[in-house]
Amino acid sequence: MSVTSTSRRRIETGAVLLTALTAICALLWFFPIYWAIITSLRFDQDTVTDFALFPKSPTLSAYIFTIENSNLLRWYFNSTVTSVTITIITVAMAACTGYAISQLSFPGRKLLWWTILASFMVPVSALIVNHFIIIAQIKLLNSYAGIILPMLLHPVTVIVYKQFFDGLPREFREAAVMDGATEFQLLFRIFLPMNWGVTTALAIITFIGAWNSFLWPFLAAQDETMMTVTVGITAVQDAYGVAYGRVLSGAVLAGLPVALAYLLFQRRVTQAITLSAGIKG
Amino acid sequence: MASLELTSIAKKYGAVEVMRGLNLKVQDGAFCALLGPSGCGKSTLLRMIAGLETVTEGNIRIDSTDVTHEEPSRRGVAMVFQNYALYPHLTVRQNIGFSLSLAGATKAVQTEKADVVAKMLQLEPLMDRRPAELSGGQRQRVAIGRALVRDPKVFLFDEPLSNLDALLRVQMRLELAKLHQDLKTTMIYVTHDQVEAMTLADQIVVLDKGVVQQVGSPLDLYNAPANRFVAGFIGSPAMNFLAVSADGSDLVLPGGGRLAGAAQGRVVEVGIRPEHVRIVADGAGLIRGTTRVVEQLGNTSFVYVDIPSGTFVVEVAPDATPSPGQSVDLALDMSRLHKFSADGARLAN
Repeated sequence: MSVTSTSRRRIETGAVLLTALTAICALLWFFPIYWAIITSLRFDQDTVTDFALFPKSPTLSAYIFTIENSNLLRWYFNSTVTSVTITIITVAMAACTGYAISQLSFPGRKLLWWTILASFMVPVSALIVNHFIIIAQIKLLNSYAGIILPMLLHPVTVIVYKQFFDGLPREFREAAVMDGATEFQLLFRIFLPMNWGVTTALAIITFIGAWNSFLWPFLAAQDETMMTVTVGITAVQDAYGVAYGRVLSGAVLAGLPVALAYLLFQRRVTQAITLSAGIKG
Repeated sequence: MASLELTSIAKKYGAVEVMRGLNLKVQDGAFCALLGPSGCGKSTLLRMIAGLETVTEGNIRIDSTDVTHEEPSRRGVAMVFQNYALYPHLTVRQNIGFSLSLAGATKAVQTEKADVVAKMLQLEPLMDRRPAELSGGQRQRVAIGRALVRDPKVFLFDEPLSNLDALLRVQMRLELAKLHQDLKTTMIYVTHDQVEAMTLADQIVVLDKGVVQQVGSPLDLYNAPANRFVAGFIGSPAMNFLAVSADGSDLVLPGGGRLAGAAQGRVVEVGIRPEHVRIVADGAGLIRGTTRVVEQLGNTSFVYVDIPSGTFVVEVAPDATPSPGQSVDLALDMSRLHKFSADGARLAN
């Protein structure tokens, strides 16, 4: 009896300590974000003098300035166009490719699969010079196509789809074939709708990745009107020097859609990370 | 309704030949069971009829039309899968109407046909549910409904009852039998469960290692098995076998018992079903043994008797069951004795 209560007390103490440690880690992680938000709510002259945890006189002046004196709305538009296009094309291509590799038999299937796996091993930054030269040669710099095309390479999405299709019992396919379904109908009327969760999850992480991407849009969009929001906010910094409130207001505005997307689709994002964890790991 | 004819069917996976020279004719409206142990090729054969597996050699005719290389959906066959393969994202109504929707039928036609099938299978209250919300038996009925709505010439069933519990299996067996009586459509039914085959089919095809061992009615197979494999496979508990040696015109059993005048030139083994063996008074039997296990089934009992060459199963009346460990004498009904040659062929009595 006493042994049981002692071990229970030990477990409870351990749980309290673990919870406290987790809370401290969460605070450490969240503090820079909090600091960025409250700094963006200070007057510019206070950003290097007022270190209180909450501004004495909070203001939206930095936000108003950033919105009024930059192309932020245009950058938002550019980010939306590129991210949505990348998401739709990437997911559609990956679903079709994953389906073909998993379910169809055609010459070169294994070669295609190994090529996709191999391409996954090559970091994007190693290809970026090639991408830049090709896009420049075909005169697509400073265009949506120029930003979008190299960002359609997403082998992980193909791998996740292939694994998902591999895991489906073959009877579903056979039943549909006996019902007279074509490959297209099989994919779009049976396989994908069978678990929209996979597609939703992959679409969300692809969107977040495209929205947050910086290096390629930074190289491909040199004209301010073609910049995405992540690239654009660096222009705010350049144009107005070290005005921390304005820079951070731009950063907060840039990150807002992704943060909202995460909050709204938290479960799906976690699912996507779980789906691709085995591959990325 | 249609007849089915398979001629010289062979199937190879690479260099491995899993079926060769298989011929089979199923009459229009017959209920034909393909029966055999795991790996005997029965599902492969069914899938070749369905068009889900290619045929290496030979041809398949449905109603005299060669469908060997025809697309599965154009053969006029419908299949019920072992795990039902119901589309989880569609309702029962959508599952049943899926093939019609693919064929371009209007919503009204789909609904009308789905409702007819639902009425036939008592699925009306379930039409708006998804498969996850159904019991095993209900899923089974939906799977049958999905096949039924296509109005096929031949129904194919791939072990459709194997995922159901024992009680439901008996119930569904009865429903399948009624369905066949009502529809009178040719049905090909794969099973490894001989009780299903015996109770449902009017023609049973016993397969082993891709070769047809015997084709016949359930009673033909039970009473006159073509060879030792069929004799051992059909019947539960299985037939008892005894190695014998000839001594003049007698056959000598292990332990010294003699079957007077039973010897035929090539007999090396005899078989007898449990219900044709009796426990008799000491000294009156041919084989002596010791009872090991007694299975009481209520209406009958099976007694497992240890004899010099192994175990012998005897069916006895429940009120005449010996106790385990008791020494007993066994007598055989000579008119029911099956004799086999060294190659397993059955010899005439």
